[in-house]
Amino acid sequence: MSVPFSGALRRSGGIVSAIGKQLKSVNLKGVKRITVQFDPFAENVKSTREFLFLLSTPKVAATNPKCVVKPEVVCDRQPANIKFALIDSAQEQAKVKEIRFNSDNLNTLELLQLCNKHVSSLAPREEITNKVLTKAEKQKLAGGAGGGKKATKKK
Amino acid sequence: MTSLIQRSLPLAKTSTPALQFLRFRGKINIQRPKAPHYERARVVAVTQPKYPEAPKAKSCFKTRAERTQQQQENPYNEIIAREVRNWLDHSRLVAFFHLNSITADDIFRVRVQLHKQNLHLKSYGSKIIEQAVKNTRYEAIVPLFHSNNCIVFSPDPQKTAAMLRIVRRVPQMVLLGGIVEETILSRNQLVDYAQMPGLQAAQAQLVQTLNQAPGNLIQQLQAHQNSFVRVLNVHAKNQDKEETPEST
Repeated sequence: MSVPFSGALRRSGGIVSAIGKQLKSVNLKGVKRITVQFDPFAENVKSTREFLFLLSTPKVAATNPKCVVKPEVVCDRQPANIKFALIDSAQEQAKVKEIRFNSDNLNTLELLQLCNKHVSSLAPREEITNKVLTKAEKQKLAGGAGGGKKATKKK
Repeated sequence: MTSLIQRSLPLAKTSTPALQFLRFRGKINIQRPKAPHYERARVVAVTQPKYPEAPKAKSCFKTRAERTQQQQENPYNEIIAREVRNWLDHSRLVAFFHLNSITADDIFRVRVQLHKQNLHLKSYGSKIIEQAVKNTRYEAIVPLFHSNNCIVFSPDPQKTAAMLRIVRRVPQMVLLGGIVEETILSRNQLVDYAQMPGLQAAQAQLVQTLNQAPGNLIQQLQAHQNSFVRVLNVHAKNQDKEETPEST
């Protein structure tokens, strides 16, 4: 009467490592502009501010240098929101022009998870156009032609 | 008398008891003590002190470390909190910023530029600010410190425009609000305050506005005299013009 094993073999690293894991998969290639709007004196803005900070880190910014992250501070106690303005190919794919998160009741981890689910998936796939061949690979390819590369080597 | 002393002398004699030295040169063993004899172990087990545990309701959601160890608050925190209170009380201009990810080089450059204008850039954590500011009139600034932040202090509120000009060049610093002359201002209010003219200019404007109504009255009273003077001037000019062509 043994119960089959269920559960995890390794212990989880906690919320911080979960956030780190989500951050690694954030890809902003499909986004033109991100507008983070919040009222600093309102409640529940901590997650929005943390999200803004995480988007400004160099690694996330490097996924798309053309994407602008614009923080907007408002003073009328509006609930915080984050808007992603998509590029054209992403707009066609998602059939929307803009994605908006109402971040008042979401924590940082949930924001990142949603971002990965909806935004990172719209990043256009990159195709490798120019593959630089190493010398060994070139020799292998030209091996059939009878050592042509070696003969044409400069003195 | 002496015989009494002599009789008590042997008892008064002190002699050291026989000493048997157990430790000689070698290192003593502390880390791997011998397992005690069963009887001794029983006595030790029975005589272990039992401390009353705190009621489970208080310690239910705490981790084991929190339950067993008592966290002492670092007294240095209080010193820093006092320093923050000092800065808040003696600066007539305080501005709060959200700080995005920024390199130390860039923040140093900003710090230098601000320092040249007598603006001081500081940053503190939310715990210290709460300790410094709780139950005071600055309590409303606590929600600004939940995330990465920095503060700019200045003894001179006229430097608001200069500060905003410097910070505009830094995209990582996001203005959240400020305190000017003991009034908490939101971001838009602070920007408006920076664009307002100085106190003297504002006073001059006020004086001008106050003088407008009586000035109007004076103008109307003197209207006839002024128009008469103007007409005479024109007439005099015409007469000069007529005289000079006649003379030539």
